[in-house]
Amino acid sequence: MKNNYEEEIKTLVSEIIEVPVEKLEPDADFFKDLGVDSLKAIEIVAAFEKKYRMIIPEKDIPNIRNLRQITEYTKHLEKV
Amino acid sequence: MHWDREKIKTILPHREPFLFIDEVIEIDGTKKLIASKNIKDNEFFFEGHFPGRPIMPGVLIIEAMAQASIILYYICKPEIGKTHPNYYLGKAKAEFLSPVVPGDKLILETNNVKITDEAGVVDALARVGDKIVAKANLVFSIKRNG
Repeated sequence: MKNNYEEEIKTLVSEIIEVPVEKLEPDADFFKDLGVDSLKAIEIVAAFEKKYRMIIPEKDIPNIRNLRQITEYTKHLEKV
Repeated sequence: MHWDREKIKTILPHREPFLFIDEVIEIDGTKKLIASKNIKDNEFFFEGHFPGRPIMPGVLIIEAMAQASIILYYICKPEIGKTHPNYYLGKAKAEFLSPVVPGDKLILETNNVKITDEAGVVDALARVGDKIVAKANLVFSIKRNG
């Protein structure tokens, strides 16, 4: 299950930022390394909220900067 | 809830002939906003689109949805809206289902999917009467002045 979840997240992010899954390193910085801007960032957040029926508070968005962080962060939210 | 053009002009930077909201009809908190635009015979775009067969261009329906969405943004983020930031439409995924012609009253409904200080995502609908004429998912960004 864990791997499936991580793969799902990777696929979702990959589709939005148009970077192939195989090139998405867990620690690559969305903004510095992957060219994510505020538009792409909000698309990722909106897609997450819709798919996993969760709310990501605005104040947390700037702290989610790579795939590893988004996976950890959303796992935490699931527990709440 | 009713806002007229004068109030709308305090929020939207657009002016005639590129102001596509006549009234705000309904505001549901920060979730949803409904606005309208009467499509008149003498709209500037009908002259060429198309001679003798006037149809409102789909891109302008998107523009009208985007303008309604700016007002929704203002309601969600009044402290930023009051500074008159620049609004940029970044992405639009749209479907056009039925033509809009002179005499139609275009009802524009925009729903908050996610709105932050810097950007917004909305799902918008355009209706004429009960008929949905267009749907769109819009992503826009906000750049504050100064």
